[in-house]
Amino acid sequence: MSQLTTADEIALYLGGGLVLLGTVGVGLLEMIAGSPHPVSGEGQIVHEALVPLHIRSYIILLGLAIWGAYAVYKVVATTPETGQTRRTL
Amino acid sequence: MCEAAARPCGKRHMTSNIQTQLLGRNVSFAVSEVWLAYWLLFMRLIVGWWLLHAGLDKFLAWPFDASWFVGNAAQGTSVGPLVTMFSDGVLLTFTNIAVPVGQVLIGLGLVLGALTRLAAFFGGFMMVFFYFINGETGGWSHGVVTGELLGIVILAAIATLGAGRVLGIDAILVDTPFVERHPKLRYFIG
Repeated sequence: MSQLTTADEIALYLGGGLVLLGTVGVGLLEMIAGSPHPVSGEGQIVHEALVPLHIRSYIILLGLAIWGAYAVYKVVATTPETGQTRRTL
Repeated sequence: MCEAAARPCGKRHMTSNIQTQLLGRNVSFAVSEVWLAYWLLFMRLIVGWWLLHAGLDKFLAWPFDASWFVGNAAQGTSVGPLVTMFSDGVLLTFTNIAVPVGQVLIGLGLVLGALTRLAAFFGGFMMVFFYFINGETGGWSHGVVTGELLGIVILAAIATLGAGRVLGIDAILVDTPFVERHPKLRYFIG
């Protein structure tokens, strides 16, 4: 079991956390206290959302960008661990 | 004889015990190895065909023109400032070729399990633009969890878990002397 580095923790918790905040977190907030269906099926704005949709987009985008940056960082700055292959079949 | 071999009859069905820490808590669970390999392969084939089909479809209806998507559609979206730079001139020509070629290569990489992590990374990268442009131009009318977001999540899982070694070309590549001499290449193959 290898130890997590700071970069691992940022990707795991901050990156994933922001994606979950933008999807699940804001979604729940809108259901409870805001507007669960701010936009009609045709894409017309029906209600003003509690958290503006573009802010929600940026939260998810930031999370995804952190994941992407982490992948690039891993390739540039580290060397992969040698995995032990078990040949049992 | 199965009894003589002191093991159950039939094909071996092994489980791995995963022991790790997440959010500061110990996590321990058993995973069926055959089902893990099965779902990795399944995800690779489904998402690979999704992208391969999208790319081939563009070649069958050639010429492909992305000008509306990277121009008007992208304008005002969260990825607009970057994407609209590709809406005319040489960058549009690049986009019109790079998107179908990229989709075919990514799709082939995933289906065949060749350079799987690299393919999954660029698949996810491309999907981010589709996700935000399609979602925001439609006002997220079907919610923010769309097919594209699920695609990004599956591609991230494929890249993380190295799915190319499951009946894929990466299983051969990983043992080549060239990869052994250049260990960083293991980040690109499964």
